[in-house]
Amino acid sequence: MTNPPDERGVELRELFFETSQELLQALNEEALKLEKNPGDEEIVRGIRRTVHTLKGDSAACGLRELSELAHQFEDALSLEGLASQAAVAEIAFSAADLFTEMIGAYRKNTKLPATKALSKKIQELMAAPKPGKTRGPKKVAVKAGSRTKAISPKKSSHVSGRAAAQWTEYERLAMTRAQSAGQDILHVVVKIDPHCAMPIAGRQLVHNAIGTMGVVIAARPDAKSPAASKQIEFVLASVQTPEQIEAKCKIPTIVEEVTVDLLLPASKAQPAAVPEALIELAPEENAAEAETAAPQTPAAAAPAPGAVLVTQENVLRVEAGRIDNVLNLVGELIIGKSMLQQALSEFSKRYPKELLRGKFADAMAFQARVLNDLQRSVMKIRMVPVDQLFRRFPRMVRDVARQCGREVELAVSGQDTDLDKGILDAIAEPLTHLVRNAISHGIESAEERHKSGKAAQGVVRLNAYHQGNQVVVEVSDDGRGIDAQKIRAKAIELGLTTPEEAAKLTEPETLNFIFRPGFSTAEQVTEVSGRGVGMDVVQSVLHRLKGSVSVETRLGQGTTFRLKLPLTLAIIKALLFWVEQRLYAIPLNAVLEIARTFEGEVHQVDNYEVLQLRNQVLPLLRLGRPAHEGDHKSKLFVLIITVGERKYGLIVDALEGEEELVIKALDDQTFATDLVSGASILGDGRVVLILNLPAVVEHVARLRPQEMGQANSGLLLTHTDRARMALTPDAGGRI
Amino acid sequence: MKQVRVLVVDDSALMRKLIPQMLAADESIDVVGTAMDGSFCLKKIEELKPNVVTLDLEMPGMNGIDTLKEIMRRQPVPVIVFSSHSTEGATVTMKALGLGAFDFVTKPKDASAHMAEIARELIAKVKAAAECKLKPRMMPGMAPKPEKPPAPSGSPNKIVAIGVSTGGPQALEFVLSQLPGDFPGAITVVQHMPDGFTDMFARRLDEVCPLRVKEAQSGDILLPGRVLICPGSRHMKVKRLPLGDIAVLGDEPRVNGHRPSVDVLFNSVAEEFHSNAVGVLMTGMGDDGAEGLGAIKKAGGMTLAQSEESCVVYGMPKAAIERGYAIRVVGLDVMGSTLQALCGRNTASEAAGRAVRAGN
Repeated sequence: MTNPPDERGVELRELFFETSQELLQALNEEALKLEKNPGDEEIVRGIRRTVHTLKGDSAACGLRELSELAHQFEDALSLEGLASQAAVAEIAFSAADLFTEMIGAYRKNTKLPATKALSKKIQELMAAPKPGKTRGPKKVAVKAGSRTKAISPKKSSHVSGRAAAQWTEYERLAMTRAQSAGQDILHVVVKIDPHCAMPIAGRQLVHNAIGTMGVVIAARPDAKSPAASKQIEFVLASVQTPEQIEAKCKIPTIVEEVTVDLLLPASKAQPAAVPEALIELAPEENAAEAETAAPQTPAAAAPAPGAVLVTQENVLRVEAGRIDNVLNLVGELIIGKSMLQQALSEFSKRYPKELLRGKFADAMAFQARVLNDLQRSVMKIRMVPVDQLFRRFPRMVRDVARQCGREVELAVSGQDTDLDKGILDAIAEPLTHLVRNAISHGIESAEERHKSGKAAQGVVRLNAYHQGNQVVVEVSDDGRGIDAQKIRAKAIELGLTTPEEAAKLTEPETLNFIFRPGFSTAEQVTEVSGRGVGMDVVQSVLHRLKGSVSVETRLGQGTTFRLKLPLTLAIIKALLFWVEQRLYAIPLNAVLEIARTFEGEVHQVDNYEVLQLRNQVLPLLRLGRPAHEGDHKSKLFVLIITVGERKYGLIVDALEGEEELVIKALDDQTFATDLVSGASILGDGRVVLILNLPAVVEHVARLRPQEMGQANSGLLLTHTDRARMALTPDAGGRI
Repeated sequence: MKQVRVLVVDDSALMRKLIPQMLAADESIDVVGTAMDGSFCLKKIEELKPNVVTLDLEMPGMNGIDTLKEIMRRQPVPVIVFSSHSTEGATVTMKALGLGAFDFVTKPKDASAHMAEIARELIAKVKAAAECKLKPRMMPGMAPKPEKPPAPSGSPNKIVAIGVSTGGPQALEFVLSQLPGDFPGAITVVQHMPDGFTDMFARRLDEVCPLRVKEAQSGDILLPGRVLICPGSRHMKVKRLPLGDIAVLGDEPRVNGHRPSVDVLFNSVAEEFHSNAVGVLMTGMGDDGAEGLGAIKKAGGMTLAQSEESCVVYGMPKAAIERGYAIRVVGLDVMGSTLQALCGRNTASEAAGRAVRAGN
């Protein structure tokens, strides 16, 4: 027989790795449910079914260790009365963890984690006494029985009934016959001396010797078995005394030890009755077994109401890479569309009277509409409900809450909100961090909560919703909130700000310190949180995604972290503008309005340039060269943008227009700056750089302006620009 | 050749991919659809009208057994159930067979080692299922547990050896349930079935038959009214000993690709019991048992083969009939009465004769 092609095996494994994630997720969820409703048989059955599928699938892929462990667990779970044990949920959790690790190890082809600990726990579970009646103990007994069979014959000899199991029907018949014929039935165990040079010949000698003492009814093990060279058991029908037999069998240098026990004493019972008694034995045994087997059938056959909803039968699993490919092509098409549009407008200029223009325009409009739909459809393929991510949290919240000794309930809403798969994957870690923080820093201990008149159980809430062209994911808790004073003090202590400056900071500004690297106010570093790494990572991830994170807190009432994310990573609507003869773009959804003003309207506050727009004062960011004296009358374009919860004004040289941009990632090697998050190609082949607004804003905030207006100018200037304008080269421009 | 349309029902996404892959190896099989649970399965049966359904027994929502019941109630389609290698799996599988499942296949255990083998088995069974004439079940769904009269004492007058494969569980249940508890012969059975399932199978038969049915252990005595089923993955032979006749189990290599093999049992029965042997070859794929039936005939024993129209798969009986080894060709409905006629009543003289011999 030929093995199936390797390729197929690999493909199968890949599929398993993917589908197993869902199974493990289900396992976690069921374990959580069980923890909440201990003793619910229905949930235990659900767990068993999941483990069963996992076992079957992993076995089919040849992942033996995993399937064996799953098998063991499944077996344990089918014991009756097991559901009432608190340990079941616990073991299900550890199993889910271990299975995950194992699958990870298979996937990376690394060493498998040790399975002994779990295996032992499962065994303990099976061995533990159960309140349920029949089946559990019975099954254990069977297992135990098979084990003792091999070890115990020596000791069990005085209980003939127990020993009987290991002798065949025929041997038992022979025993009873011999017994009624007036012979003692003896159990003889002969240990062969381990130093015996010829164990096979030795065994033969023992056989001969014992044969002279009576009739050998049975001998174990078989002569062919390798174990036969260590120890042999006989059932002997004999009229000799045990001592005589022992003496006869003890052959020097061959036999180490002989034990002789009386199995059945000779009886004078009438021979006729004996076979009857024996025949009764078998059916009885059968009946008992049949009875114990019966109760398990209804349990297994019982339907599982409302287990899994009708989902994804018509779901197609497609590798994410393939969709990305399609999306890329759509992106190219969009570039093509703008090329056509450009050509058309040139054409119109050249031949304003040409009638074909209208036809072209119609065709263009039609194509644009289809392209739009196409883009949206492809995008939708990439969209997954945020539930995929939220599902992981119940388990995590439980674990972290335990570690921290908190009582926490997780409330989830908006889990149907769709989000780009790439974004979803990217925010998994930040979100995890935020939830951990909410539990360990946010939620107070039960006593503390009690004192402040809150319910003992804290609530951590995950929420997601669409807001315009963005998706918002919120993590909130009803804990103690963040004390702005503490943050302020810590920021001063860390030298991030001065006491004078700190005093002027608004609360949101103060809170923003928590996103600085190395900032932590937790009194002690725990396993869970408080190591000062994290919040800055959260922020940098969101910046990378062209999203933002903001925090809102009320002392004593709770904290909310709000992640704002773009719907997709691949295509954005952007506003294009010029700075120093270069074309740049920013996401259109960050732009609130475009203002036209004069240089004279720009004011200085603390060496920062600001603009008063209606009744607001906005900090300004001058991307190009600083203003010269006497520029008062020159016109300015100011883009009013929001980053986080704050508004800024961007001073640009000229506007180009709105465009849909297909983002091309930039090579980190080429662009050593975080000010630019990507680039795109326009229809006419021009390249546009997309600014990373949060980084731009942050860049300015970090600088301590020494000189008037210096800090917020020239961010996008190159060395040559600077040289041309005779500026100092260290002011921050790095492109 | 007509294409066989197959619907694959399994809750595991992996299996929904793997099983069609295995079936794809045969050109005459089209997997027309897959379903992830029972209710989808029923819907798709109506929609797609498959010739054969492969059904996983462990599913969330509507489980395999309930689904099977529904299929059989609405519009019977041959169903091949997938079951796992476990005690529980065996129990449920037996139940499924009792409900009218055509046959079963155990889930692949290892992609590299057994896949080809299981694929072949599955393909063969799917094809057999597609060709079978689906009859309404001959057994009433759940017969009340029959009274077990006291077993006849003494030794059996005949040794009946039955060999059966695909379609066997139902056929065997039918035949054995027609024999009385005081049937004077001893019955030995080789049913091609994996390890672990034979025990459940024996228990099930014991429940529905007046005979005493048991999975054989080495040294079990052949008694009148007793049925010994050879355990999966072992061979069974018979042996005459001074105190009685016994079954002996062995682990010799596969014969005809099978362990247990019907030939092994038949040859041994022929050798030990000569004219007291009765060989019965029933429904099943392949030709295991045909030669053994010849050996029984040659030794002077009686040989029966199940008739074509009553077979689910007319393979093994056909092989024996074509080679001229079957003395009589018997329909399933009269198999029981034929056996009773052949073994006769347990006459006093015969019993006495055996007793004398046994007493030596």
